[in-house]
Amino acid sequence: MNRYLAFFKKEIIEYIRTYKLLIMLIVFAIFGITNPLIAKLLPEIMKNLATDGFVITLPDPTAYDAWTQFFKNATQMGFIVTLILFSGVLSSEYSKGTLINLLTKGLSRTTVILTKYFSMVLVWTICIILCFILTYGYTVYLFPNDITYNLLFSVFCLWMFGLLLLAILMFSATLTKSSYGCLLITGIIVVFFMIIDIIPSIHKYNPISLVTDNMGLIMNSIKVSSLYLANLISVLLSIIFIILSIVVFRKKQL
Amino acid sequence: MDFQTLKEYLPFLIPLIILEISLSITALVHVLRHPHYRFGSKVMWILIVLFIQIIGPILYFTIGRGEE
Repeated sequence: MNRYLAFFKKEIIEYIRTYKLLIMLIVFAIFGITNPLIAKLLPEIMKNLATDGFVITLPDPTAYDAWTQFFKNATQMGFIVTLILFSGVLSSEYSKGTLINLLTKGLSRTTVILTKYFSMVLVWTICIILCFILTYGYTVYLFPNDITYNLLFSVFCLWMFGLLLLAILMFSATLTKSSYGCLLITGIIVVFFMIIDIIPSIHKYNPISLVTDNMGLIMNSIKVSSLYLANLISVLLSIIFIILSIVVFRKKQL
Repeated sequence: MDFQTLKEYLPFLIPLIILEISLSITALVHVLRHPHYRFGSKVMWILIVLFIQIIGPILYFTIGRGEE
């Protein structure tokens, strides 16, 4: 347990020293503030864009628009920034050879993988909570009368998909030596999830539904119970990917 | 945009501006104190960090920063 804590501390200090934590926090805080703002300003912007004879009318913005922005930004830019920042999770250690010392002193490889995964999860959790609180606060301030449903569950689904994504990232980091290869493999696996989503009967089991059905949940057009299976499968897949990455990492030549 | 609308959005703009400026300043300090980059020169990174909001400093910390 002590080793886990010591290595965990090292990881967190690394995130602070390499400014990864700072960037994650600031990016997610900026998203959190701009989500409701863009929702509020979009009709104004469209009005200014309209030239003569060409009028774009948009309905008055509601809290749904703010949450649409939230889920759009978090699932696109949010995930991209997270993955790019964490893509060097093992490759930077390989290239500098910093792990060799620790491993020869008796630190187990399982500890390395688990601690690295959980420290990434911790940073992701803090960031998504920060983004959620800011968006929630400003949305309530701007659109006080709108009712949203299943908000917490919807964000929970997003968080759960983040856990899966980080597990996939961890697995691909053990497969390759470079951070670009790691990003590439993660991308391929996510695209694979998106492609099999074309088949409607799989959608219920596909983890990607955790990030595509959020707006339906908030508008109450999709039942909460329809996502339980996807959540369960996402947890199982995360565990499988972590176990696989431990297995691969144990055999890996450093 | 007249002053009244600007005033309405101040609670959004102030934290946003603070965040952007703090990101720029951290990146700028780092650029000046660590003169080794993976590519590009000091002047290029100073310009990127100061004039491309949000994306510039992130680019610097993710791909531009050299090894210590």
